[in-house]
Amino acid sequence: MTANRGFEPTFCTIVPPHVLDTLARSDDPALAGPARRTLERDALERTHRRLTTVIGAPTLAPPEALADQPNRTIHDARHKQDLPGKKVRGEGDKPGKDATVNRAYAGLGATFDLFLKAYERNSINGEGLPLNATVHFGEDYNNAFWNGEQMVFGDGDGEIFLDFTIPVDVIGHELAHGVTQYTANLTYFGQPGALNESMSDVFGALIKQYTLGQSAADADWLIGAGLLAPRVTGKALRSMKEPGTAYDDDVLGKDPQPATMDDYVQTGRDNGGVHINSGIPNHAFYLTATALGGNAWERAGQIWYDVLTGGELDSEANFSDFANLTLAQARATYGEGEELQAVTKAWEQVGVLTA
Amino acid sequence: MRIQVKRTGGFAGIDRHASVETAGRADAQEWHDLAKQAVAAGRQTPPIGVPDGFSYQITVDGKTVYCSDPRLTEEQRKLISWVLKEGA
Repeated sequence: MTANRGFEPTFCTIVPPHVLDTLARSDDPALAGPARRTLERDALERTHRRLTTVIGAPTLAPPEALADQPNRTIHDARHKQDLPGKKVRGEGDKPGKDATVNRAYAGLGATFDLFLKAYERNSINGEGLPLNATVHFGEDYNNAFWNGEQMVFGDGDGEIFLDFTIPVDVIGHELAHGVTQYTANLTYFGQPGALNESMSDVFGALIKQYTLGQSAADADWLIGAGLLAPRVTGKALRSMKEPGTAYDDDVLGKDPQPATMDDYVQTGRDNGGVHINSGIPNHAFYLTATALGGNAWERAGQIWYDVLTGGELDSEANFSDFANLTLAQARATYGEGEELQAVTKAWEQVGVLTA
Repeated sequence: MRIQVKRTGGFAGIDRHASVETAGRADAQEWHDLAKQAVAAGRQTPPIGVPDGFSYQITVDGKTVYCSDPRLTEEQRKLISWVLKEGA
């Protein structure tokens, strides 16, 4: 992706990014190409600076934290945007009247459980990191995010989105950003950014399946089911089973996710399409998990988890780099068996080249 | 004064944009003051964001600045929600 870095003409250093954005979408490849590459490069470098800063901060588990128990704290922003807000529920406290607080608390517990029981990982950083979340962030706030230290959930506006704590896979998705930050630290731009997003969708989906006791065959493989308001035409935000089919709505537009490399989207928006092209590795995971059958968090999930956390995955990895590591991992863990075959076929089917 | 807001990124990865023309509005002065402060606190290039966080582009009479969640000033926050709510 950055191989031509030194040969780019001095095209854009003073052109504002919004102009680049327009150019990058131009039909003329002479305009679109350099503008897009400049946008990618700028954003890549900015993101890289941030992530290396974020990961440098050590976090110690408090002495009272037990190795096999989460240490959760839920805060309420009371519709303001100051973090973390007022503490409303700590670890071991009884459920209160606020369903949003209770869902966040349960979702953090479910996420902690999957990582501990399936992968023997003690919390996000593997060292018992306390899990903090803030709910009721902002007014009619249509988003949830990971700020490098904690999860943040909006209530949705009720018109397009409902409360972001409703789907447990959304809670898991945000926490998984934390796991990625503490492990491969995939750069949040372009293909490594789409892999970062895909890791969060994969483990978000696995947390939901683990919680419901669903096999790969029984799962819906949707991200954000239950999040769309009733008037929106759609079933979720993303589909790992059929990327591009989650919604098709007058206001939201159509789900833009590709399932294969043939439909890969080049864009400077959304950090280079991190929420768009994640459909490709998402679908590869789905294909692997359903080919193997049984519980997706066991063999398919184990391979993906081991690659994410194994130390070989570069922060700038592209889809092929990641795919090659999953092949090597499948071989190392399970030998030349059906696991290796399933992973190989999955990447073939989505058009990601492997060595 | 024409105020445009463009939002990209977010968990859903769905863009939104809206603009407001303040000419002829009874509350035009309030918009102008807010827009001035929001632009003054903005960056010339998109700032550091967070995973799934929204990024914003604010354009006032042709001048564009950038900001990202969760680090917005109160004026930026107010202007953005106002324009996205009231704008077309």
